[in-house]
Amino acid sequence: MDFPSGLKYTKDHEWIDSTDKTAKIGVTAFAVEQLGDIVHVELPQVGETFAAGASFGTIESTKTVSDLYMPVAGKVVEVNKDAVNSPESLQADPYVKGWLVKVEMSGTPDKATLLDAKGYEAFVKEQ
Amino acid sequence: MSTAKKTALYDMHKSLNAKIVPFGGWAMPVSYTSVLQEHKAVREQCGIFDVSHMGEVFVTGKNATEFLQKITINDIHRLKVGGGQYSAILNESGGMIDDLIIYKLAEENYLICVNASNKDKDYTWIKSQSLKESGVLVEDKSDEYSQIAVQGPTSPKVMEAILPTADAQALMTMDYMQIKKIRAFNQDMYFARTGYTGEWGYEIYLPNKAAGSVWEALLSTHGKTGVCPIGLGARDTLRLEACYLLYGNDMNDTVSPLEAGIDWATRLETSDFIGKAALLKQKAEGVTRKNFAFKMEGDGIPRHDMEVFVGNERVGIVTSGSVLPTVGGAGGMALLDPRKVKVEDQIEIDIRGKRKLARVAKKPLYKAKVRG
Repeated sequence: MDFPSGLKYTKDHEWIDSTDKTAKIGVTAFAVEQLGDIVHVELPQVGETFAAGASFGTIESTKTVSDLYMPVAGKVVEVNKDAVNSPESLQADPYVKGWLVKVEMSGTPDKATLLDAKGYEAFVKEQ
Repeated sequence: MSTAKKTALYDMHKSLNAKIVPFGGWAMPVSYTSVLQEHKAVREQCGIFDVSHMGEVFVTGKNATEFLQKITINDIHRLKVGGGQYSAILNESGGMIDDLIIYKLAEENYLICVNASNKDKDYTWIKSQSLKESGVLVEDKSDEYSQIAVQGPTSPKVMEAILPTADAQALMTMDYMQIKKIRAFNQDMYFARTGYTGEWGYEIYLPNKAAGSVWEALLSTHGKTGVCPIGLGARDTLRLEACYLLYGNDMNDTVSPLEAGIDWATRLETSDFIGKAALLKQKAEGVTRKNFAFKMEGDGIPRHDMEVFVGNERVGIVTSGSVLPTVGGAGGMALLDPRKVKVEDQIEIDIRGKRKLARVAKKPLYKAKVRG
């Protein structure tokens, strides 16, 4: 399983790729594997704002529904319609084609709650 | 999961890299590759399922028939030797203790296939009822028997490949719901023309010690038949498209067979059985909830226990919901108020706070050629 080193990860299995003000957010290869066939993704509208840790949507497999949690507070500026329209693209490529939302961050990511690739890999091994 | 029971095929599942989950007290394979791929394999070719978690209760003795009539809703006298019958056992209030299939193996000799999660409850109840009778022996042989389902359009070919010609021929001429005892792999086993997928297929009841060799023989026909191992995940989406009920989802001990939509198996005119008085009352008054199938009209996947509305009025709850891989889209079954909705009506499902449009549909949602 692949965990790109340039990204940061949450214990809820989201990844975040942040620059100065904006961040791209998605779910990890581990999450995708655990879910199995992803059949439905529900994302927020552009313009909605979320606190860090808030649920911003759902991802659904044949059997279960999981909430998606914001790794950082911010306002949604773009959503990936391809991931909604063809969830299998997210399944095949969770880090590039499968990004979910872009947000304008209203603060800086809380470093204490985010893991680097090595830390996240160690965390999922315990799961 | 360490306390979960393992079927005789558990090591086979591990070696096939199945994802194992706890189900009804058992460690069972939920999928081997992907639920959607496995679903497709069964609809287009053939799949084999380890369903050894299902229970096998034998009822024998000179009064076995009369006894079974007292505790089951269908008309046991319609059942001939070599036949099977879908039925249910009820409590006094008419609620379903379980749904089951009864096979008549010989005169006064019956095999009852019951749900895994209900097996102990069923056996205890049937046994306790039998103690009021004479000439009836009830035995739980679930620990001795494995069960493998072979389902899909190429399942006759699979049978031809693993059985001697004469035995395979005998299976080909069986009617839907029939059962036949065949000696194969040096063991006596029962082959039934039944299933839980909506496809042509067989369910094999066999001693645990033969399970591994039969499973491997079935899989070895892959090149000719396309057969694949199938987990409980696809078993659920397959049965849902075919509108087969799932105990614990679509019914429980507060839901009557009239509400669950199995009126056709409920013989109020000819049979006398525990729970009948409650059903007669319910029938006279009219049921206030009934099992319907439905399909989503847009996005959203319905799930068990979601509320169903018409306008502002709550008309029932979803009992089973999922994507429908062959039918397309999503849908399921629901217990709805039949005074307020009928087939073809538009309904709304509350999916995590959002109302999503759906339409009540005729059952089943998917139909293949299952009967001869």
